[in-house]
Amino acid sequence: MRGAIQSGRFHAIALGAAACFSFWQGGAARADDASSWREIETKYIFGFTTGSGIGLEGEKEFTIDTVGRFGKRDGHYTATETKYEYEFTPSQFVQIEFGALGATHNIRGMTDLDDRNQIAFAGGFAEFRYLAIERTSNNPLSVTLAFEPNVRLIDETGGERVHNYEFETAVNADLELVKNRLYAGFNLLYEPEYTQTLFGDTVREATVGGSAALAVRVLSNLVLGGEVWYLRHYDAVDFSAFTGDAVLLGPSLYIQITPKMFMTAAWNAQVWGREIGNPVSFNLAEFQRHRARLKFAWEF
Amino acid sequence: MFAVAIMKRLTLAAAICGIALLQAAPSQAQQATEIRVTYSNGQFQPNQVSAPADKPILFRVKNLDAKAMEFESTSLRVEKVVAAGTEGVINVRALKAGRYEFYDDFNDKARGALTVQ
Repeated sequence: MRGAIQSGRFHAIALGAAACFSFWQGGAARADDASSWREIETKYIFGFTTGSGIGLEGEKEFTIDTVGRFGKRDGHYTATETKYEYEFTPSQFVQIEFGALGATHNIRGMTDLDDRNQIAFAGGFAEFRYLAIERTSNNPLSVTLAFEPNVRLIDETGGERVHNYEFETAVNADLELVKNRLYAGFNLLYEPEYTQTLFGDTVREATVGGSAALAVRVLSNLVLGGEVWYLRHYDAVDFSAFTGDAVLLGPSLYIQITPKMFMTAAWNAQVWGREIGNPVSFNLAEFQRHRARLKFAWEF
Repeated sequence: MFAVAIMKRLTLAAAICGIALLQAAPSQAQQATEIRVTYSNGQFQPNQVSAPADKPILFRVKNLDAKAMEFESTSLRVEKVVAAGTEGVINVRALKAGRYEFYDDFNDKARGALTVQ
């Protein structure tokens, strides 16, 4: 049964990839002169990799951003976290975001996690983004520093009630390789966390990593891309207790639906991973087999 | 202990953001280069303007059309809705040399560019 579901999932993915490829071919054939296109905001064109864009001074945006995580070592595992987010750009160098988190967990028959089927309010977050290096027509590189404190009441992985404090720090950089056409994105990530369980136990951990992404603007309102992530996990915030790492790879899609609305989607599969002290393929203790992202944004 | 470390980092982040927010302020204190543009019949006039590098810029956009327009630019990182028959004032930071495109977000055909040199 599980095999049939997985087979169906991979067929769906293959069909999706084929549809994207044919759409890209059609788009490239129809594409008009890219020099006549408006410049694009790069923040969301790379999938899970975040571009350097900070929006426009005076711009406000509401977004719904869902990340799903699928597949662990055994049993059935599906978890999502959705950000209901308000973001605004008060100056030409700073962007501020904040919002609420919602989470779902559907867990059955897993060795280390309780069975659970729940939807819950999961906490809140804020993000501060500072544009450190700006792109000009003479400099293709743009770099933004991002700080994102999160407070969670629901454990991201298992879904049980906790008090979790996370402070994500990231460098978001991108390069415009071909004017209005081809972009490369790079992220560096450090994500220390402190968790207190209902039983009073405390857990300190950190995830550190980086990504590289490539995005091609095939039409003025359509960007296709791919990205690779390398993530390392530690049972300490100071890198003293390495527990495993993983490489994730996958495609991304960005569509500007109207001048004031866009959507972005991405999917990553773990293609390599290791758990320290456990000679198995993939790291499914700290990471998942697949993750997917779907985001809709409305500017006003 | 860890909560204290988090608070310190939050304070640091807030300080960086505060500095960044203030960053534009000193440049606005400099004499800004004023650029006047009118918008009529769905077009900017003039649609090619220039300004010196490393000095703040003040755009005055007068909308002569009967409907609102939105002066917007990804590279200038500004947007402002200018109601019909009114003038919008847009402050832009001191810019490095280069070409910066602007447009009306409500009208794809209305384009212009600022050359900074």
